[in-house]
Amino acid sequence: MLFGAPAAFLLIALVLPIVALYILKIRLRRIPVSTNLFWKQVYDEKPPRSLWQQLRHWLSLLAQLALLLILVLSIADPYFSWQSLQARRLVFVLDTSASMRASDIAPSRFEAASDAANQMLDGLRSRDQVAVVSAGSRPEVVLGMTGHVPTLRRAVDSIHLTDAESSLDAAIELGKQLIGDHPKGQVLVFTDGCAQRIDSEENPMDVKPSDMTATQPTSAASSESTLSATANKVDLTNIAVTEPAQTIEVQYRTFATTAGNVGLTQFQARRSLVDAIGYEILVKVRNASDQPVKGRLELELDDVAIDVIPLSLKPEEQWTRVIEKTSLEGGQLKASLTQITLDRTDANVTNNDSLANVNWLPTDDTAWAIVPPRVVQRVLIVSPGNLFLQKVFEANPLVQVSVRNDLPDEWPADTIVVCHRLVPATLPVGDVLVVDPETSCDLWDVGDVLENPIVTEQDETSALMTHIRMDNVLMPEARRLEFKPTFKSLASTVTGEPVYAVIHRSQGDCLVLSVNLERSDLAFRTAFPILVTNALSWFAGLPGELQPSISAGQMTSLSLGDDLADAEGPAEGATRDVDLASEEKIAPTVQRTLVSPSQQQFPLLGNQVGPLSEVGVWSVIESNMLTRESVAEALDERVLQHVAVNLANVNESDLRPEDTPPSSIGTSVMSGDWFTRPTWFYLIVVACVLSTLEWFLYQRRFIT
Amino acid sequence: MLFPADFLTRLEYLSIMSKRVFRGTLLAQRRTTQMGSGIEFSDHREYSIGDDLRYLDWNIYARHGDLLLKRFQEEQDLHVYLMLDCSRSMAFGQPAKFDLARHLTAALAYIALADLDRIAVVAYADGIVQEFPVTRGKARVLSLMRFLENLSTAGQDTNLARAVQGLLHRGTRAGLAVVISDLFDEHGFQSGLDQLRSRRFDAHVLQLHDPKEADPNLLGDVEFVDIESDSVRMVTVTEKNVRTYKQLFQQHQQAVRDYCANYGLGCTQSPSVVPFDTLVLNMMRASAVGR
Repeated sequence: MLFGAPAAFLLIALVLPIVALYILKIRLRRIPVSTNLFWKQVYDEKPPRSLWQQLRHWLSLLAQLALLLILVLSIADPYFSWQSLQARRLVFVLDTSASMRASDIAPSRFEAASDAANQMLDGLRSRDQVAVVSAGSRPEVVLGMTGHVPTLRRAVDSIHLTDAESSLDAAIELGKQLIGDHPKGQVLVFTDGCAQRIDSEENPMDVKPSDMTATQPTSAASSESTLSATANKVDLTNIAVTEPAQTIEVQYRTFATTAGNVGLTQFQARRSLVDAIGYEILVKVRNASDQPVKGRLELELDDVAIDVIPLSLKPEEQWTRVIEKTSLEGGQLKASLTQITLDRTDANVTNNDSLANVNWLPTDDTAWAIVPPRVVQRVLIVSPGNLFLQKVFEANPLVQVSVRNDLPDEWPADTIVVCHRLVPATLPVGDVLVVDPETSCDLWDVGDVLENPIVTEQDETSALMTHIRMDNVLMPEARRLEFKPTFKSLASTVTGEPVYAVIHRSQGDCLVLSVNLERSDLAFRTAFPILVTNALSWFAGLPGELQPSISAGQMTSLSLGDDLADAEGPAEGATRDVDLASEEKIAPTVQRTLVSPSQQQFPLLGNQVGPLSEVGVWSVIESNMLTRESVAEALDERVLQHVAVNLANVNESDLRPEDTPPSSIGTSVMSGDWFTRPTWFYLIVVACVLSTLEWFLYQRRFIT
Repeated sequence: MLFPADFLTRLEYLSIMSKRVFRGTLLAQRRTTQMGSGIEFSDHREYSIGDDLRYLDWNIYARHGDLLLKRFQEEQDLHVYLMLDCSRSMAFGQPAKFDLARHLTAALAYIALADLDRIAVVAYADGIVQEFPVTRGKARVLSLMRFLENLSTAGQDTNLARAVQGLLHRGTRAGLAVVISDLFDEHGFQSGLDQLRSRRFDAHVLQLHDPKEADPNLLGDVEFVDIESDSVRMVTVTEKNVRTYKQLFQQHQQAVRDYCANYGLGCTQSPSVVPFDTLVLNMMRASAVGR
């Protein structure tokens, strides 16, 4: 026999006080009585303090000593060598993907899986060790290896569902790493079997639920092979996996039915490339059932209904549509699938009431997208005259154009200045676009005319060059510019001379296009209006026309314009509050917070956020915080950005495990053997018996 | 203090109650059975030579020709002997049985003195320990109370028979003998009472016991100390032992009742927690019903 905590044997020293107290205790209580007349008659019938009575005291002492020994022994955690040899290392992998939210198994697939995991914990054998891993958007070890069942139960109960897709394979791999090279390792996967549909070929070592009905247990772990032989043949399958280095058994318990579902598998919105105030919506709806369904797709922009589209979907049909709408302000676009019912008008429909519900997963019934707002910009064109340039700006409905033929004495505020040929000695404050500068200024010196300026390099990553190809554009009489400050070339010739560059200034950015519009064919190209549109968007601070909706569980980069470190100064619009703070000599701090659709708040430490595992619209909020006596107080808040998160996952929307008939939850087969509990448990039981014996002896000796 | 300030008041109340309610019963207005020259006719007896012819019933002689002499009940003072058990077993209990016994002695003595009877108090344990001589008149009640207050428990071997024997050897005139005791007498209470009966004493037994004596609530290994004999007994008390003890105690109480019933003696049994005046009233009420 081995002991887990042999130091506990030091507690045997408690024998001494027990014996001492016992010796002190046997001094009898003196009870005065008025007469012994009757007691004499009572005890004349039998001699006092019979052998049994004498022995009873010794029995009591022995019971107490045995009780102590057993308690010490149980604290020492004894176990047999065969127990340690039979101990297993188990990893419970719980699928927390969105499809587990389906209620085709009441109350939900996840609840059923969680209950089954708890049932399995009841059958845990002594010295077994279990780890709990959740397989949400990314695998996460909820609890490391332990044999403490209450802790394991708490860990299982603490796992929450996500709206993301499953990372089951990674979680199983993580479970195998947790098991290590233990000879009796098992990975128990509680899933609905929907995650394996796509990547079932990736890991041929693990047999997926789709293979279960055809595969028989093949290894030494076949002692539990009855798992696969359950009546329903589905929900509990034991598959042995043989790997070259070691054998780690992976068991799947599937909690799924062939429930149908209709879901939005794609929902995106972007600004139109041809219509300045228009935007386009991409919608994909999939009927993941073998029944025809009908319903409605409702579109709302900032809670205002903009369209309702009736749907009639055949079995397994994927409905795709691009919808064009217009809106200057943009906003939060919401798509909802409503009134999804079985299409009984279809001739192929099965007349079965049990199939009336064909939409078991609500998560993918709603999707969101962000339509970026359009801002009307004022543009002042200072040019001796170029109709192409003027019309490009005037064609943009988001631009208010004014034209001058000469340089003004005073430059208007909040206006983008476009200088064509005419360039002041000092460029004005604000954003400036300079086209074909003829004279030098504070930022560059005009040099010679370039010979055969053909663009060979352009910055593909820059938002200013989006959708622009300047290859093979003739640019005769383009000028060489020698820039004084640091610049960034967006397009350059084969000799490395920049023809389109950006200069960052503290008082406003400057774009310089050293192309002679009259002599070049750039003005005839479609790239020119796009270039101008990009420049206007860039000046407006918009990264582009698309703020893509991301899938739940993905990471995303926020386009907040500046780093958090740069933004730690007082924000605009908070002047009064900042003054108030400065009076009290307390500096306000800028704090950015990521707010989930369920209003949970996470501090934002960088531009990279995620994984965003909840569907809905996430918000980035910037707050000016004033801390007084350790109590933070928000002076003002503003929303910097919205991020739309949708399920948008074909796997998760399809609730049917591949080749899996409806299942019921099987019983726990973790261990049905005798002596499954640790040795100390049985010692405690014996101690309880001894306590009862001693209680009986005590009651025989003392007044109750 | 054994006798509180209002003790005499309570005694006076008891005395009045005994005359109003229990007139002619236990103590008040009690006649002796002595025949003599009273005025209250008792019965007839046959004439014998030498009898006073004044008491010859001439009417009967005229009718039947029988010479019968009329007898009258003689009114004499009643002698009340209060035999107080002063053994150490009487000191048991809370309150002690001895305290209640002394209160009862004082109460009965007061009632008797108030009725112009004579009383004597005999404190006994192994034998007669102390004695308050025969006296009469309510004025003596204070000295009686002092006597009772100075009494203490003593002795190691209670013996009622020896005490009665001592009383009778003094040529004591017969009367009412009230034995106030717990009757835990290893020699038996019967022999003492037998002697009183044989000497034509009208005996009344007032037996006191502590509730713990009737129901000892104890279990386990204990060392019994007899407070009377100082003897020690180490025993293990079980529920069965306690049940047996209770049976024996009840048998003892029943034996006392049976004895008194058989020989026409008054008998009052009471736990020591009952107030003395209540107990006296109950005792007189019981005597009234019995007669």
